[in-house]
Amino acid sequence: MTLSYVWNELHRRAGRTIVTALGLAAGVGLVMAIIGVSDGLSQAQNRILSPLGTVGTDLIVTRTVAPTTSTATTVPSQGGFGGQGGAAAGQGGTGGGFFAGGPGGGSGLAQLNGADTSALLNANSSVLTDLSKLGPAGTNFVHDFFVPGTLITFPDQAVSVVSTIPGVSSAVGALSLQALHESGTVPTIVASIKTGGQTISASTTPPPLTSAQQAAIFSCLQKSGLLSGGGAFGGGGSTGPGAGGGGGARVAIRPTDPAFIKCLPAAQQAFITKVVVPAETIRQVLNPPSTNTTTSSYTVAGVDPTHPNSGVITKAQLVSGHWFDTTPAHEVLVNNAYANTKKLSVGTTLTINGVSYTIVGLVAPTLTGNVSDIYFDLATLQSLSTNSARVNEVLVAVHNSSQVNAVAATIHKELPGAQVLTSRDLADQVTGSLSNAHRLATDLGGALAIVVLLAAFVIAGLLTLSNVAKRVREIGSLRAMGWSRGLVVRQLMTETLAIGVLGGVLGIGLGALISVVIGAVGPGLSVTSSGLAVGASTVSPLLNQSVTGTITTVVHLTAPISAKAVGLGFAGALVGGLLAGVLGGWRAARLSPASALRDLG
Amino acid sequence: MSDAKSSAPQPLYSLAGVGRSYSKGGITVEAVRSIDLDIAAGEMVSLEGPSGSGKSTLLQLIGALDAPTRGSIRFNGRELAHESQKELTRLRSEEIGFVFQHFNLIPTLTAQENVAIAMVPSGASRSARSERAEGLLQQVGLGHRLHHLPTRLSGGEQQRVAIARALANSPRVVIADEPTGNLDSETAAEVISVLAGLRDTAGVTLILATHDDEIGRIAEHRVRLRDGSIV
Ligand SMILES: Nc1ncnc2c1ncn2[C@@H]1O[C@H](COP(=O)(O)OP(=O)(O)OP(=O)(O)O)[C@@H](O)[C@H]1O
Ligand SMILES: [Mg+2]
Repeated sequence: MTLSYVWNELHRRAGRTIVTALGLAAGVGLVMAIIGVSDGLSQAQNRILSPLGTVGTDLIVTRTVAPTTSTATTVPSQGGFGGQGGAAAGQGGTGGGFFAGGPGGGSGLAQLNGADTSALLNANSSVLTDLSKLGPAGTNFVHDFFVPGTLITFPDQAVSVVSTIPGVSSAVGALSLQALHESGTVPTIVASIKTGGQTISASTTPPPLTSAQQAAIFSCLQKSGLLSGGGAFGGGGSTGPGAGGGGGARVAIRPTDPAFIKCLPAAQQAFITKVVVPAETIRQVLNPPSTNTTTSSYTVAGVDPTHPNSGVITKAQLVSGHWFDTTPAHEVLVNNAYANTKKLSVGTTLTINGVSYTIVGLVAPTLTGNVSDIYFDLATLQSLSTNSARVNEVLVAVHNSSQVNAVAATIHKELPGAQVLTSRDLADQVTGSLSNAHRLATDLGGALAIVVLLAAFVIAGLLTLSNVAKRVREIGSLRAMGWSRGLVVRQLMTETLAIGVLGGVLGIGLGALISVVIGAVGPGLSVTSSGLAVGASTVSPLLNQSVTGTITTVVHLTAPISAKAVGLGFAGALVGGLLAGVLGGWRAARLSPASALRDLG
Repeated sequence: MSDAKSSAPQPLYSLAGVGRSYSKGGITVEAVRSIDLDIAAGEMVSLEGPSGSGKSTLLQLIGALDAPTRGSIRFNGRELAHESQKELTRLRSEEIGFVFQHFNLIPTLTAQENVAIAMVPSGASRSARSERAEGLLQQVGLGHRLHHLPTRLSGGEQQRVAIARALANSPRVVIADEPTGNLDSETAAEVISVLAGLRDTAGVTLILATHDDEIGRIAEHRVRLRDGSIV
């Protein structure tokens, strides 16, 4: 009877039942939608923003400029000695050695930033200084330059170093570069610009090298294998001020090479650390000749075709075409998005610096990590960019994800100055409305869901109280005819619990509806990742252009309904019904049986 | 039950010095003061008096809906003041039936359901409750109105449903507060005859508060109240 009483109360006071249930349903539906949106955003983030895991890479090792890691040790003022200037300026090659400039290297090489900047500028300076090589002034040229941006290159032996670290299952090298496509007229002014040739003025003259010192250095260099060509050291090593320049340019020794430095007497060691970057180099680049040169940029990467399952791009990311075949020298893979904007397709031929490359496949790279527009075979890009046997990224997979931190630490130790990025670091670089929305959903979604549910509870509670107030005489009569307090309370609780069930069911329907609507008309959310920032800010201003190393993707907002959301929503509705019942029951229990005789109104 | 044993008929109710005062905002209203009253089993008592004289208050005390602030009420030899709430609830369920001026039917339940619901505390089965409700409604002449909601019944019919409900647990006492107060005289006559029939056929003790002289006339015992006291 009580159940039929409940049923009759509910269906014959349908207004109260439906309004209360709809209140709870709105709460449940919104909570489900909030959970759904949050889940949808999480899924989108996981899909787009955790690419390392999906491409089998756990760590990325790079050698980027780190302007904030200055740990400069004060070098006592030894005074300059001009002859060494030639050696210092003789960095005809690209970049500093990978192993140079480790922080706290003990040998006075702590001026990491100077070394980094030096390597960076040298690597990137060819863009402007090499214009003269394109032809006589006034001739038109089209040329693609490849610069490493902020990712300094290093010898590819680092790849084998990393691959031998315990816990590492694979290490693949890659070369990610910023390509600058320049066309215009060769400017006359170019001819007067020199690379290197800096003059370093010295306030004091360091003691000339004694013949004993020279002999010691010479044998040291020979021992360390640095001195292959005879007289390389001697060319730049005279004591005459300002003797550097061209002579130094042919020296194969890099002055930042620790092996080289080790061979020098202490005073010279300290001095070299100090003059790694002549200020002239910077000024040269900062004041480029004004020409009619137009520049467009794109990004390229060299991938190891023998590692189709790990690296900056993998076979799994192919959307059409095929992977590099056995002779990949004239093959490229192109980013699907880039192909769309440039109207490229599989089979299209690209001509770069006079050589043809055929697009064999289109790929959809994941957002973080290093996204490039064109993927070359590593060896091809190394020669195209005169980076023979050099890479600027090592993509590392570990056997067990719990080893990531240990492996990262070992890499830091083995390769001083290396920057090791984990998936987590990359995810942290992600910005844009998706990550904002996700942050919003996780930060505010929970609070919002609670507020919405509480509001629904309050509404249900108030409606139940008003219902009890309307039924004061009815409840009094039940008490008068011998219903106990417990029986009355149970009656009211059963009613509201049933309303809670109804609200839960309606709410699940509402939540599903909201989910469908969001899926159909949901706004697109952008995701921007700075990735590894090839060609990012450090170089871009020097090249008088804005090169964005970021990539933006738009994902559609979805609000998938999970069993968890349904369960939580339904439980929420039941709790709401129960709370309302407790409130109404408490109110009813306080009514005296004599209320039965109370006059109306 | 055990009345037959005692040689001198023990009164069903015995009220001695019963008073009920309400305090509200420092003002104390003596709704009922110092009532001494015996009611025999099977008796029909009408409480009469002007509005505010304390009829309803006295009925609440007799019906164990409220407790006196002074004096003692003995029902069937039990001192109500000594009974727990649980016992009083059981007493109301098993021994007392109520009829109200405004009928107090549950608007969402049919006539039959309204009667049956009174049997819920007794623990009777659903079907037993329905069956008995139907019989009681037939007894008050509403066998054809079992499935009507209160809103579809006339005032007289509603009050007869209420009487059937009051009888649901075969109480010894039926307490009615102005049972004809909301009825026209013709319908009131019907209701009065049903009530009188209860006394005559089932030996139910009837205690009624009324302004209706028709009721007073058929009552064995007329009690007149004024300002909470018997005059
Ligand atoms: N719950 C209460 N709180 C305060 N005063 C009350 C309460 N119930 C009754 N009274 C007061 O007690 C007095 C008696 O009221 P009661 O309802 O018993 O009179 P009555 O004889 O039934 O009147 P009527 O014929 O109008 O029904 C009145 O003055 C009334 O205002
Ligand atoms: Mg009254």
